Formats: sequence, C-alpha cells, structure tokens
Amino acid sequence: MAEERDPRAERFERYLDALIAGERPSPEDVASGDEAEMARLAAEMAGAASRDTADPDPAFVEQLRLRMRAADAGLAAVQIPPPVRDLAAEPAGQRPWRLSRRQLLQGGIGAAAGLAAGLIGVSVARPSPVAAPSLGGDEDLVAGEGFWQKVAQLADLPPGTAARFSTAAFDGFVVNDSGDVRALSSVCTHMGCTLQYRPEWQDLRCPCHGASFDLAGQLANGRRTWRDQPYRGDARAYPIELPDLVRPRVKVADGVIMVWTAQA
Amino acid sequence: MSTGPGPFEQVYGKHVVGIYRFVYARVGNRPDAEDLTAQVFVRAVEQLDTAREPGQIAAWLYRVAQNAIADHWRAFYRLPLVGVDHVAPGWEPADDGAQRQAPPDERASIRVQALLGDLPDRYRRVLELRFLQRMSVAETAQAMGITSGNAKVLQYRALRKAALLGDAVDG
Repeated sequence: MAEERDPRAERFERYLDALIAGERPSPEDVASGDEAEMARLAAEMAGAASRDTADPDPAFVEQLRLRMRAADAGLAAVQIPPPVRDLAAEPAGQRPWRLSRRQLLQGGIGAAAGLAAGLIGVSVARPSPVAAPSLGGDEDLVAGEGFWQKVAQLADLPPGTAARFSTAAFDGFVVNDSGDVRALSSVCTHMGCTLQYRPEWQDLRCPCHGASFDLAGQLANGRRTWRDQPYRGDARAYPIELPDLVRPRVKVADGVIMVWTAQA
Repeated sequence: MSTGPGPFEQVYGKHVVGIYRFVYARVGNRPDAEDLTAQVFVRAVEQLDTAREPGQIAAWLYRVAQNAIADHWRAFYRLPLVGVDHVAPGWEPADDGAQRQAPPDERASIRVQALLGDLPDRYRRVLELRFLQRMSVAETAQAMGITSGNAKVLQYRALRKAALLGDAVDG
C-alpha cells in the first residue's frame, strides 16, 4: 500500500489516542456525523476490550456513597456540598499544581489558602475580608509564580462565542461577550462537573444537573430570572443559586488572547 | 449509635458496579464513565421511589443510564447520531422487572464482536490490534508491515466501514 496521508485520519487519530489511553477524548477531534458514529463505535470497542479495568475506582465509589448516605439522612442531594478530599493526606509528589475540580469547589478563602499551602504558584491574589467568600467572580485564580499562556486568537472568537482551553493548572473557556473578552473556569460551581459550551444557546451548560451559565459566568437559568423569562428549552428553573464561575486573569495583546496560569 | 445503610445506600451498593460497567462499556473511558454513573445515582436520589420492587428499581436505573449515555453523545458531539436511543436487542427495560436476556455490559461486547466479524480482514485486523490489544499506531503499523500514516488511514476506513455496517444492523 503506497504511503497515504489523510488529514481527517490524522485528526481522528487524536480522538482514538486519548480513548485508548483511558483519557476523556475531545469532541473537537470529531468533525462530522459520520465521524461521530465512528467515535461512538470506537468508544464501545474501547469499553468492551477493558473487561479487567472496567471496575470503578474505589475512591470514586466511596465519594458517591457519601452522597447516597446523606440523601438517606433526609437532605436533598442538590444542597450537599461535595465531599472534600483531605488535602493534608495528599501525597506530596502528586502533581500539586493541578487544580482538580473537587479542590476548586472547596470555596472560601480559608480553603484557598489551604490549597496554596500544598500547591505551587496557585493562590488567590486579593484576600477578601468577607468571612466565607466563594471562589466565584473577580478573584484571580493564580498569583505568584506563573506566566501568560496563549489560548486563542481574537480573530477566531467573534462576539457571542467561546473557546475551550487547557493549561497546566486549570481548564476553562475564553469568551467574547459582546466585545468583552474574559476567561471562565469550566468547572461548574455546583458539583464540579465540566461545563460544555453550547453555541446555539451561547451558554455554558453543565451535563450533570443542567445548570447554564452565561458568558459573564453567571447562572442563567435560575429561579430569579425564570419568572420573567423561562430559559430556552428547559422544563423548569434550576432549583438553587450557584456562585459565579471563577475568572482566570486574561489579557489580549496583538490579537492574541492569553491567560495567567501556574508553571507546570 | 449506628444504623444500617438506608434505602438509597442499599440501592447504590447493589447497583453501582453494574451501572458503572454498563456505562463504561458504552463510553470507553473512566472520566466519562464516572461522570455518567454519578449522574444516574444523583437522579436516583431525586426521583427514584425506593419502595418499588427490586426488579423495577434495577430496570429504572438502567433506563436512566441508557438515557444519560444518549444525552452524553448528543451533547458531546452536537451532531445528529443515528440509533443512539436504540436499546440493544434482547435488553428491554420494563417496569415489571422483566428478565434480562444477557447482562447489560455483555450486549455491547457481543455487538462489537459481530461487527468485527463482518469486516474485511485488514480492517478487522487493524481494529483488533488497536482496541483489543491496545497497541499504539506505531506498534500496529509495524505489526501489519505498513507505515504509521497508512495505519491511521486504515483504522479510519475500518471504523467508517464498521459504523456503516452498524447502521445497517440497527436499521
């Protein structure tokens, strides 16, 4: 067979490579309805082949069990803060600069300071005088040792759009909100699931419970706005208030969008 | 004072591994499998009536899992998918707790084997090496005596062919 190169096959290989390595593959490497069918079949093949590794991680099972137990105690699942992994027990050598979504959800300056104790180059820039602040809103996600990482071209981000990015310390979206460029963490402030951008609604949607955040990072389908304007396509309002999405520091220079992130 | 596990924890203990395996067989990676498994049980806490018969509870959980997977594909790809909501033949979720003909995670494996069997030899070979033996592209290429570039093209065409065959089966 003569040497052939096919750009579609090259790009699709990135999807397969992640899948076969056991990582979450990216939909960006899937470009058509046909490829989506191929990707789904590939996922089934990857799932069928790993009979010995198809058992859940015990830590995951325990964390979810705690939520079941709390439900039995009569608390509604949506009101329970996520179980917190004891940071003092984290092994020191375990990629400390990487913010897991559970860590991001601990919330509060006290917890953030706790994060900083074990993590390199990650802290909250402006200590807040408020007793129990959340990590949402304008606080910097990273201060101290860090650098500006390019994440997108301004020309590729017309108003009303968002683009995913990934850095050593966190993942997120850069958005163009009617000309205002900002960065938003992709971690849902409810239970820490990864938000998905929906271009047709211009929002960031959580696949776990359906929270929708607008391009300002605020909950868009909550009770407060529901009465005046039910949210597109949803049957009911999101039942609880959620903090705003965390905003990594961002700047635009020479048409290049950059976020401030920690050294790897 | 300790009391035994409550109804939700009991349902969870009984079904978490089965649900996880069911989901994993269809999404093929741990991060997605964990997210969707959590979604199933959070929905159970919100909507499941634990006073129902065990068979009804099991059927309900697997139906929620099936829907969560279907939603996952729709949201993930934002592309029209054929047959995403189809239940594999022989597995009919039913409120009366009807007997399952095969364990849910086995059905996906049987379907994959059937599709592989229908492929031309070279297509089947490249998919077996990549997925069943978890070989890298370079290793697969070497095993088949072709270049890496060709291996990527071959696996692409093999999956496309298999997906087309799958459509024909689902009808």
